[in-house]
Amino acid sequence: MAFEEINSKMVRATVAPGQRLFSQRGAMLAYQGEVSFTPNLRGGQGGVMSMIGRRVANEDTPLMTVEGSGTVLFGHGGHHVQVINLSGDTLYVEADRLLAFEGTLEQSTVFLGSQGGVMGMVRGQVSGQGLFTTSLKGHGSVAVMAHGGVFEVPITPQRPVRVDPQAYVAHHGDVRNKLSTALGWRDMVGRGSGEAFQLELSGSGTVFVQASEEKL
Amino acid sequence: MSTVHHDPATLPADDNVNAYTFCVELKGSQWFLQKGKMIAYYGTIDFNGIGHGRLDRLVRTSFHSPLHASDWVVAEGSGKMLLADRAFDVNSYDLEDGNLTIRSGNLLAFQPSLALKQSIVPGFLTLIGTGKFVAASNGPVVFMEPPIRVDPQALVGWADCPSPCHHYDHGYMTGLLGGLRAMTGLGGASGEEHQFEFVGAGTVLLQSSEALMAEQAVGAPPQQAGVPGAGAPGAPGGRSGVPGLPGQLGDLQRRFGL
Repeated sequence: MAFEEINSKMVRATVAPGQRLFSQRGAMLAYQGEVSFTPNLRGGQGGVMSMIGRRVANEDTPLMTVEGSGTVLFGHGGHHVQVINLSGDTLYVEADRLLAFEGTLEQSTVFLGSQGGVMGMVRGQVSGQGLFTTSLKGHGSVAVMAHGGVFEVPITPQRPVRVDPQAYVAHHGDVRNKLSTALGWRDMVGRGSGEAFQLELSGSGTVFVQASEEKL
Repeated sequence: MSTVHHDPATLPADDNVNAYTFCVELKGSQWFLQKGKMIAYYGTIDFNGIGHGRLDRLVRTSFHSPLHASDWVVAEGSGKMLLADRAFDVNSYDLEDGNLTIRSGNLLAFQPSLALKQSIVPGFLTLIGTGKFVAASNGPVVFMEPPIRVDPQALVGWADCPSPCHHYDHGYMTGLLGGLRAMTGLGGASGEEHQFEFVGAGTVLLQSSEALMAEQAVGAPPQQAGVPGAGAPGAPGGRSGVPGLPGQLGDLQRRFGL
């Protein structure tokens, strides 16, 4: 495990020769040992095509490569940090929520329209994800930022979970999501409950929810 | 979670009420506190600006920072007062015949048994002696041991170890590709070219985020040969511009002689 939570807003990462980490630029708080921080032109993994894909998809958060040997402390902007360990499955998360992740993970950009066509695109707009989101796949850990504390909600086939789109942080596992609406005439006349849209996640996996409706 | 109701008897004495509030008990004693950090008090407490004739003796023995005098008051009387600062984490620290240097904006209050002095690192204050002080930080404070290199914005302070030096790391800007990068600004800067480096024995205090407390302009030390940071107010002192924006190298190039 590369990341260790020191407190709710800080993680410690161990870097060893031959291992790479990617982290958001400027998110290093302190380090011990000989560690180098190189701005990553391509914004993550893959070749130039991946870079262009990310640019087009607006998922190109400025990243840097962290290499060397030592320990590094990461934190950013006073946001809460959650470490998520992946063992073979895929994590879907917005690129600007990524604080740091291990180089062993495979990073790619996902078109939300591919998950449910037009409704997927509508869902992306409502949840603030845009039309694209980032996925990380493989074995390794990811440090994700959120506003307010993060809690995990397990999703089981019997119990789908409905999340406020603004409080949604990330999810992994075999999960289908759809936008459920509870629009009624009250919303039309401006007397709605303010909870007209929810993100409904079903299948089996985990969704991470932040204790705030503020986007990063 | 339930709300806890406090009255003067149940409030802790010189301890945290919660992570964001600290309660100071005064029994005819005095505390220095930074202006605007008191949020409530019980009892009869006088707050006097520093510079009153009556406090001259106290100020002479434990306040040696004329640049910061206008930001500090002396609380005197008996009762309990609550200190807080913009929902930042607040903690108290005990010094025993020690010294600790802290970012001036993070220090909330201290006992007069400590002496406050300006650090020669601009923007920092040093506390020397024995006593208690209260400091705020964005997120809990993490204590680390040198050798360590710290992002300037994450540094809260340090105790017992020698003053830090600047560490510049621009390895990625060397070589052919690096030269191109430096010339064109393509690829941006990692934002981690500059750290404070600590060596020797001691403790370094870090805050868990890079959000800084607002810093007040307090002027500069007197212009005098051999005084670092002396000069016109607003002149670049210790906190020289940190290259933050990606794709913009700013004065980095000049600093690295590129």
